[in-house]
Amino acid sequence: MLSDKAISSIKKLTERYPRPQSALMPALMIAQKENRNHVDRSLAAEVATLVGVPESHAWGVLTFYTMYHTEKIGDYHILVDTNIPATLSGAGTILDFIRKELDIDPGEMTADGKFTLDEVECLASCGTCPVVQVNNVYYENMTVEKTGTLLDSLKKGIMPKPEAPEYFGGTECNVLLKNRLVKNAGSIDVYKNCGGYRALAKTLTMEPRAIIAEVKASDLRGRGGAGFPTGLKWELLARDSGKPAYLICNADEGEPGTFKDRQIMEYDPHLLIEGMIIAARALESKLAFIYIRGEFGWIADILEKAIEAAKTDGKMNDFDIIVHRGAGAYVCGEETALIESIEGKRGEPRIKPPFPAAEGLYGCPTIVNNVETLASIPFIIENGAAGFRKYGCAHSTGFRLFGISGNVNRPGVYEFPMGIPFDTILNAAGGTNGMLKAVIVGGLSVPILTAQEVQGLKMDYDSCLKHGTGLGSGGIMIINDTFSIPELAYRTIRFYAHESCGRCAPCRYGSDSIRELLKKIVEGDGVREDIDTILHICNNVKGVTICPAGEAFTVPIKAMVEKFRDEFEALIKC
Amino acid sequence: MVKTVSIQINGVKIEACTDITIVQAAKENGIYIPTLCYHTDLKPSGSCGICVVEIEGRKNPERACTTKVANGMVITTNNKRLRDTRKLILEMILADHDTDCPACLANGKCELQDLCDRMGVTTRSIPKKLKKLSIDETSVAIMRDPNKCIACGRCLEVCANIQTVNALTEIGRGHRVFIGTAGDAGMGASPCVNCGQCTVFCPVGALTERSEIDMVWDALLDPAKHVVVQEAPSVRVALAEEFGMEKGLATPGKMYAALRRLGFDKVFDTNFSADLTIMEEGSELIHRATNGGTLPLITSCSPGWIKFGETFFPDLAAHVSTCKSPQQMHGTLVKTYYAKTAGIDPNNIVSVSIMPCTAKKFEARRPEMRDSGFQDVDYVLTTREFVRMIREADIDFKNLPEEKADSLMGDYTGAATIFGATGGVMEAAVRSAFFLLTGENLPAPELTVLRGVMNDIVEATVEHPKLPFPIRVAVVNGLGNARKMLEKVKRQIAENGKSEYHFIEIMACPGGCVGGGGQPFGTSLVDRSIRAKGLYTEDAALPLRYSHENPMVQKIYESYLEKPNSGLAHKLLHTHYFERSQRDGAVVKETTHNH
Repeated sequence: MLSDKAISSIKKLTERYPRPQSALMPALMIAQKENRNHVDRSLAAEVATLVGVPESHAWGVLTFYTMYHTEKIGDYHILVDTNIPATLSGAGTILDFIRKELDIDPGEMTADGKFTLDEVECLASCGTCPVVQVNNVYYENMTVEKTGTLLDSLKKGIMPKPEAPEYFGGTECNVLLKNRLVKNAGSIDVYKNCGGYRALAKTLTMEPRAIIAEVKASDLRGRGGAGFPTGLKWELLARDSGKPAYLICNADEGEPGTFKDRQIMEYDPHLLIEGMIIAARALESKLAFIYIRGEFGWIADILEKAIEAAKTDGKMNDFDIIVHRGAGAYVCGEETALIESIEGKRGEPRIKPPFPAAEGLYGCPTIVNNVETLASIPFIIENGAAGFRKYGCAHSTGFRLFGISGNVNRPGVYEFPMGIPFDTILNAAGGTNGMLKAVIVGGLSVPILTAQEVQGLKMDYDSCLKHGTGLGSGGIMIINDTFSIPELAYRTIRFYAHESCGRCAPCRYGSDSIRELLKKIVEGDGVREDIDTILHICNNVKGVTICPAGEAFTVPIKAMVEKFRDEFEALIKC
Repeated sequence: MVKTVSIQINGVKIEACTDITIVQAAKENGIYIPTLCYHTDLKPSGSCGICVVEIEGRKNPERACTTKVANGMVITTNNKRLRDTRKLILEMILADHDTDCPACLANGKCELQDLCDRMGVTTRSIPKKLKKLSIDETSVAIMRDPNKCIACGRCLEVCANIQTVNALTEIGRGHRVFIGTAGDAGMGASPCVNCGQCTVFCPVGALTERSEIDMVWDALLDPAKHVVVQEAPSVRVALAEEFGMEKGLATPGKMYAALRRLGFDKVFDTNFSADLTIMEEGSELIHRATNGGTLPLITSCSPGWIKFGETFFPDLAAHVSTCKSPQQMHGTLVKTYYAKTAGIDPNNIVSVSIMPCTAKKFEARRPEMRDSGFQDVDYVLTTREFVRMIREADIDFKNLPEEKADSLMGDYTGAATIFGATGGVMEAAVRSAFFLLTGENLPAPELTVLRGVMNDIVEATVEHPKLPFPIRVAVVNGLGNARKMLEKVKRQIAENGKSEYHFIEIMACPGGCVGGGGQPFGTSLVDRSIRAKGLYTEDAALPLRYSHENPMVQKIYESYLEKPNSGLAHKLLHTHYFERSQRDGAVVKETTHNH
């Protein structure tokens, strides 16, 4: 049974959104929090009635996102990120340690109901791996020793306050990370003292078309991964539909190896908010959303506080921003899946066309931009397109955040102009820890490069293409020679198989079939034909899935198998 | 003028209407593009990816089912890449599918089986995964086997968007995704109204009726039992297509012959009680209309609609005709009127019905359906089950001689036979209501304005100088359309104190019973239309076309029931309703009172 307090919170949520159904995800989270961390059928039914959706719909949503639980779990839900950067940094040892300490396997609960252990996908703390999440708190830069202390404390019923993570990083451009080390930069006063909201003031006298023209002239390309020109995207917004236009900030940072948007939202939230207010002025949108991954609960709180401060300070006028928290689904980083998720549905991508710019959220024209993209807008307005273009190179203008993780000495987020040599970033990050074997430069979904292939690489769209990879999300993962590529491939496909939404057969079956085949191979049961079958699946699934997820796993797996085929063949018995 | 575009498919130049998809354009021009999740009557989901084609100038293949044609498109539907992709997808589906085909009710009708055959899928390079999810047997009408489900989404689309029942949902995600109900509690603990449209649209037999064949065989082979059978109107137009005959042809004579060969002791016909229903319901309508009763009156023949109404519109219960459905009237009378007339102990009678419907299985098991003192109808077989029994018995249906039903409860008029199509009950009722009000028959029995499987909602006013008032009627098929109509009625009553309609016919299934949930797998709207046409053709050829002219109906009133809506008629032929939970369909309370 929901408490009266929960009922009134849920009712308020239904009024906050343009459509009450959008309140389903936060409402389920409210219900879960007050029911010992799980939602059973009757509780889901209660929420469904309040929000105005069929019970079956609520159940479909509940079982789609991994942060909801339909069965009771332990008081302390311990989640160990074992995705690629974490595994490269030794997360496996931590997982084994917890396993032994608690005497349970991932997916199990201790007999006393105190702990549930789970292995999870990338928590976007690649620079501060290994990370252990307990309920909604991140414990970063973990070691076996620190994990032991954490468990001891939890056994006594005390959730220790997490240590501030040890961050490396640096900025050569001083834009996106300029306030990173400024104390209390999250406060609007500090932000203003550092020159914040000057760009917004400048746009008050600008026509929306003029803002778009400036952004277009800057040649800014989307920083989420696809690199679509931002100004052009804004121009494509349907203006004569007679419907409201929505702006959505994609803060579902989940591409393994990517942990850059976090830096902006956590340490300089007003930079994003200022960018969003300006973008909304350009798009004549009165309501925007920040879709933030659910694991970033505390960052969502920071954003909500900052939005309130901006309102109080008179920055928002008739404009509003709703922070919508995801609940564990990589695919919601895809813009139409993200839109479905805001509508209170399972995060399954839509068939395109129509594109969101014509029919997006609630069937209305919608623009979805990445955090870093929007955070770059104030600089463009303040310094002009020409000021922005001073950074970077042709087709790749401006500055960019590069997250570097894995086998490096100083993993972190570094701000550099586009086109910077790869080596410069690697050196800034203290160089490879061990012998460089391979690099993934744009998040897990781009083709892996061998140590040889990476030579001469510059971090821009054209150079990456020339070297046979993609700039993607700028998430760089360094792999040293102690690491087996078949193991890496297996962990990679486990991620994609886990995150496939299941909506279309090629992705659903393709990712899982490759997972089965790679499992066979790494466990020593593979036959030679399995390697070819994997490549056959990669070649045929690519391009026939509804969303880019199919490409996201076939491209990297194919590259790993083709470039390191000898390692796979070495695992075949006969 | 219809606007067209010029496209090329496999080198053939084609003029196609704008706003249609590549699959549609290809089909119209006789080009076959393989599909699996696609169904002509449903919004395409694009989930399977089988129909991918290449379009010149595009980087990746596109789905032909969701991609609209555009001027100048140059399309390739068959090349090595596309064939490889299709075969791979099918192979991956098979690896995750329970391939015990001989044991599957969809064997021989399975769209996956058929497609694999046509695409020449012979290799098995994908590791087989044996799902062992439990089979959902919680519903009395419908079985769900998640081990066969290929997550194509057709059942979801029909349940949520065509029928607006929302019993089903996807559960989980990725390769673990399956179709289930809230809490994974099973169809029997969901708001499912048993309409069975999910079973008709399911391409692979993951959703089927709950079979009662074995029980019926046991009864037939038990010499102590007197097994009586009735067949719904629309069954007789859905058999021919299953036995290599002209689709939609009415074959009542062969149907009776087959039933006798299966061993039924008495072969009656639901059409008899359809005529009887008209007498009862027509009289109820006139009584309500002339005595200030609750209007509009809504028909009660369709058990899927009845449970839907009880679940989602309990406040309209008083509008629903108190008449039992023809199946239940027949069942009650078999164990009373027939037992008495024939001198048989009703204890020994097994009453079986052959229905185009899965919801009838639920209806027969309603606790209140025992007015004969026994369960009025013991077993309900769908058309599909009946066809399987004919096959099991090795009966050469096509070459059977024509036989007649047993007269007492087997004679019927054309008005009864059209019950099987949307608008048919209304047409039959108007034919007799006109007679009851004016003392004479309509100038012509056909009311073609009420017909049409493709129409969502039909409205009409029956006017005639001899009628005391013009009768305003509406005909609705499909529960989504019913929802719209009932919301309109509620709005009108709220705003004006009354609705514009006197009489509304609702059939749960698109097209009416010809498209019922128990009809052959894969039924499309076109199939539904063809079967409906078969019924209208039979009607036109019958000597009697007015229910009130059925001599056996006249006889039962004279010798047993006295007159329509008499005390005994009320006791045996009428029923009452309940309010049901939208969560699990359980009875909440009575909404209309027991007679």
